[in-house]
Amino acid sequence: MTAAELDFFLQASVRLGIPLALAALGETISERSGVINIGLEGSIIAGALGGALGALAFDSAAVGVLGGAAAGLAIAAVFAVFAIGVGADQIITGTAVTIGGLGITGAVYQARFGATGTELSLPTLGAVGIPGLERIPVVGSALFDQAPTAYLAYLLAPALWYWLQKTPAGLELRAVGESPDAAKAAGVRVLRVRFLATLFGGALAGVAGAHLALAHAGTFAENMSAGKGFIAISVVVLGRWNPVLVLFAALFFGAASALQFFLQALGLDLPYQIFLALPYLLTLAALAGWVGRARAPAALALPWESE
Amino acid sequence: MAGGGERSRPTAFGGGVPGVPGNRGPNIRGAVNHRQPEVYSLGDGLAARVRYAVARRAVTDNPPGKAPPMLRTPRPLLLLATGLFLACGAPTDDEGSIRVALLTSGPVSDAGWYAGAYEGLQRIEQELGATVSHQQTATPAEFDEAFLAYASAGYDLVFAHGNEYQDAAIRAGEQFPELTIVVSGGGRIAENVAPLIFRLEEGSYLAGMAAAAMTRSGIIGMVGGVAIPPARGTFRAFEAGARSVRPDVEVLEVFTGDWNDVAAAKEAAVAQLSRGADVLIHNLDAASFAVFQAVREARAEGRTVWALGMNSNQNDVAPDVILGSAVIRIADAFVETARMWQNGEVGGAAIYASTRQEVIDFVFNPAALDEVPPELVERVAEARVLIREGSLDVPRVPFIEGEAGVQ
Repeated sequence: MTAAELDFFLQASVRLGIPLALAALGETISERSGVINIGLEGSIIAGALGGALGALAFDSAAVGVLGGAAAGLAIAAVFAVFAIGVGADQIITGTAVTIGGLGITGAVYQARFGATGTELSLPTLGAVGIPGLERIPVVGSALFDQAPTAYLAYLLAPALWYWLQKTPAGLELRAVGESPDAAKAAGVRVLRVRFLATLFGGALAGVAGAHLALAHAGTFAENMSAGKGFIAISVVVLGRWNPVLVLFAALFFGAASALQFFLQALGLDLPYQIFLALPYLLTLAALAGWVGRARAPAALALPWESE
Repeated sequence: MAGGGERSRPTAFGGGVPGVPGNRGPNIRGAVNHRQPEVYSLGDGLAARVRYAVARRAVTDNPPGKAPPMLRTPRPLLLLATGLFLACGAPTDDEGSIRVALLTSGPVSDAGWYAGAYEGLQRIEQELGATVSHQQTATPAEFDEAFLAYASAGYDLVFAHGNEYQDAAIRAGEQFPELTIVVSGGGRIAENVAPLIFRLEEGSYLAGMAAAAMTRSGIIGMVGGVAIPPARGTFRAFEAGARSVRPDVEVLEVFTGDWNDVAAAKEAAVAQLSRGADVLIHNLDAASFAVFQAVREARAEGRTVWALGMNSNQNDVAPDVILGSAVIRIADAFVETARMWQNGEVGGAAIYASTRQEVIDFVFNPAALDEVPPELVERVAEARVLIREGSLDVPRVPFIEGEAGVQ
């Protein structure tokens, strides 16, 4: 592997890892509050379409990112109303929200751009190099010559860790995820915390979708989220519900997918599925407790009603 | 351009294909094989070509980007109403018109494989006055449900657009003898189930010739979705076409594992461009947009690079970067198949569609012609004639069990 090839591989890893990181960081917060949002995929695809529509309407990729966040949040709000408000099963509600999100975005896209599709050329969120940091040998240009949404992920990971571990509000959120009854006894408004955490997760998933459409692909296509919401949920497990580790786990997943394209482009005739399967094997290992201690929040996926 | 030799003989139905009912073909989509004797084919020589030409003009007259007229069932409303992909049309009580349905397992907004089928359905509605309906079905369980729904709603003809439907189609064919099912790229045949086989390799071969003539670096690339045999087949033909022009050309191949994952397709295309490839072909659905975008970005950096379209005429999809498209005129084939069905000619045998019926073609992008040497256009046209005559051998994948071909 030459230096240029290594550089290219690392850049591709980060590009593919960033949308996963954004979505997984949001999911980490909602899972720490006891809500597993399987509807993440729906928020991502809505964020991609919202990002595309916002960017086209205002001819600005930055507005597009806001549009993506709003669309992702809207989808998560639907999930939250049923899964948290009504106390419906989180897995079933999340699945419905994902399928609904894929269907609604398809319908809106076809109504707006024609049933047989158009290749949209969107205002793109270009890479912005960070002076100094981008000159770090080997990883500098891969990590620090990226779209602004990548820097959002880098900053959010430690910030969310600090917030979760060191602030009273973070403690309340963790308490809600571990033992909602105890949290309520301590005066925490459990449902409110869960609502806000889920909406935050949806908005970040929307940003992830907008990143896909505006910073990465430069276009929108139906079903373009291609399972990234579910991968992000695996990333949360591999990152052991710790925002900083989640960021690294997402970059690792990104590297695994970049590796398959890289090796195929080199002309190596290896089954590319092996590289795609690798991160999932590690996720299983993490769940089994072989990669450090991984414990899900105790009240994860359990509906809670105030009495 | 001898048209008389390919006259169809409807009475000879079922004679040309070794498949027997229940014959299990390889699990592939859109594969083709020209070694089969062409006992019957779409259309009837010159008359059919005139029909095709007229019909094709009707399609190209629809400017890209404009919404084609909606189906009678307002699909977005139904999607919203159900929150699912199912958009089952309610047939009218008009007993006179035929009822035709389309099943796809991906979005029809891909400006390619599925979009062509959807156009075909719309044209069947307009030209044959049919009552039409479309459903997007993702899983095998939904395939069975969809056939059941259409059979019980009194539909006559269902186009199941992809090889993934073939087993469900055979089951439904046994259960509902009144229903006729046409499976695009199917490999199994029954009395009322007919595979519609597109020989896209022929167009892909011509695309390979164009790619090899246009590359400056001597490296060309192929970005595929899932590595199923028909996708590999189009790439083998592309490679063969390229080597016929430039034997030393280097051909890169990447499969992303997903037809619609634009991020993966973008990275795959960028990886090939960074390795020096300067002409890229794809075999993707909606993710093809990402390949065009990658080429566009490389052009913005000052490189002379090209993309090639596939499955539908994609020249208008990204006119600034596309050199030409390996085309399946899916809509033409669907309309013709529906006409054949009206004459009682569909069932019990595979239907082949190739350059002979003008269903498969390679079309240079008019917007790029300034930069294409006229000798290349001529050379591709000559090869096309040879392929039509059967005197130029194009690599193909076996489609129905027992057929010869390359994997």
